[in-house]
Amino acid sequence: MKSRPVYAPFKLDLSGRAHLIVTNQAEPPEGIEDSLGEIEIWTVRPGSLGVPAPAAAHIRAFRATAELLPQLSHRLMRETTGLRFYTIGSEAFIWDAYNIAVQAGLGTGEISLHRAGPLVRRVYCTHCRTLTEDVAQNILPCPACGATLFVRDHFSRRLAAFMGVKVDAEVPGEIPAPEVFVS
Amino acid sequence: MMLLLTNIETLTPALKKFTFTAPDAAPLPHAGAGVHVVVEIPGPSRKWKNAYSLVSSPESTASYQIIVRRVEKSRGGSAWLHDHAKQGDLLEVGMPQNLFAPPRRAPRHLLLSAGIGLTPFLSYMHVPGLAFELHHCCKVEDAGAFRALLPQAGNITLHTSRATLDLHALLSRQKLDTHISICGPEAFMDFVLATAAQLGWPAAKIHKESFGGATGGKPFVAHLRRSNLTLNVGEEESLLDAMEAAGLNPPCLCRGGACGECKVALLEGVADHHDHFLSPAERAANNAIMICVSRAQTPELVLDF
Repeated sequence: MKSRPVYAPFKLDLSGRAHLIVTNQAEPPEGIEDSLGEIEIWTVRPGSLGVPAPAAAHIRAFRATAELLPQLSHRLMRETTGLRFYTIGSEAFIWDAYNIAVQAGLGTGEISLHRAGPLVRRVYCTHCRTLTEDVAQNILPCPACGATLFVRDHFSRRLAAFMGVKVDAEVPGEIPAPEVFVS
Repeated sequence: MMLLLTNIETLTPALKKFTFTAPDAAPLPHAGAGVHVVVEIPGPSRKWKNAYSLVSSPESTASYQIIVRRVEKSRGGSAWLHDHAKQGDLLEVGMPQNLFAPPRRAPRHLLLSAGIGLTPFLSYMHVPGLAFELHHCCKVEDAGAFRALLPQAGNITLHTSRATLDLHALLSRQKLDTHISICGPEAFMDFVLATAAQLGWPAAKIHKESFGGATGGKPFVAHLRRSNLTLNVGEEESLLDAMEAAGLNPPCLCRGGACGECKVALLEGVADHHDHFLSPAERAANNAIMICVSRAQTPELVLDF
């Protein structure tokens, strides 16, 4: 069974009064340089100075997603209606950002999500509830409970994670060869 | 259900409040905030079916109350209620229908109404804990009557001129978790929708109800292919009225072009759309018509009914 969100290519929604693009990539999407003046962009660039002043540039580079996401919540709580919110990056990141946006009151027609970057997944161990970040292949040991997990194509928007279930529950020790994610 | 008209209160020369109860005083079906009922109004030559929002508290099952504006160029229903209805009359009132409930997931509500469009919001005010701000616009001569209907509160403002309602500023300062609900005449709704669109409001955060849009117009002929009937739709009646007069029972709910229940496939002819349901693309496709409010641009229409 597949349960995967489907993403459209990035495109500005010109019905908005203002635009905020949030990405966990180092660079904003290509092709929007011409209209940078009207668009606010948040990126994640390791080694950057962190929390730059908003007025300093239309692009604010954060040091890590852990720095960016709490700021996003704060920013949206003060925002007024008319904003279009775009989130670009790994599925874990874009759905974390989505959940913050929904909490702030954004909804259908105001949020768009776009997949970018390496094909890695956040995995939820359905046995001990531990989350593992940046998983690149479909078999992994759970770092907390030690179960060997098979990553199903079953995505939780709430957790922004894929479900990992014990792969050798039927025949203990029988573990297939891992495969790298292709989607 | 047959209900007894137990009280008529004159609010202004053009506004009357009607109270209905069950003849045996039994409790009426529960009706939530935003509910409307269709009242069947007996005329000398024909019967009208008009939809009215309940203004009574959703908690109350003892009676239903509606406020009716006397429409000068009306099809006749509101004029009959104003001029001929009297205490003790028995009228057929449909089961309560809700097409305009407060959007449940919205933490904050901005309610905007004009004229008789206030009626659904009178029931909203009884919802416990509903966080709302209401702006109501009316004519100077009606201000007293509307003021009497509204509680005195900081979140309720009455405007007697469009100049005192700075809609642009009001919509500009709303936080992301606010939804707009609007009810009123066509021109008022268009004004709000245009201002909201200009400020980037998404359609999903705007909820609207409108009753009594254009129902009259140029007469036309409707051929109902499956029923093998040809109907003359007169100046003062809707296509739905004409079909009901011919003994048909087409599905319908709001009778105001809002709900989409009465959509019928259009086989030939060009429709003159007056509804709020079909999208611009669906209108352009010219293959469906909302029979309660829409009419014909061509002398004849052929419908799949």
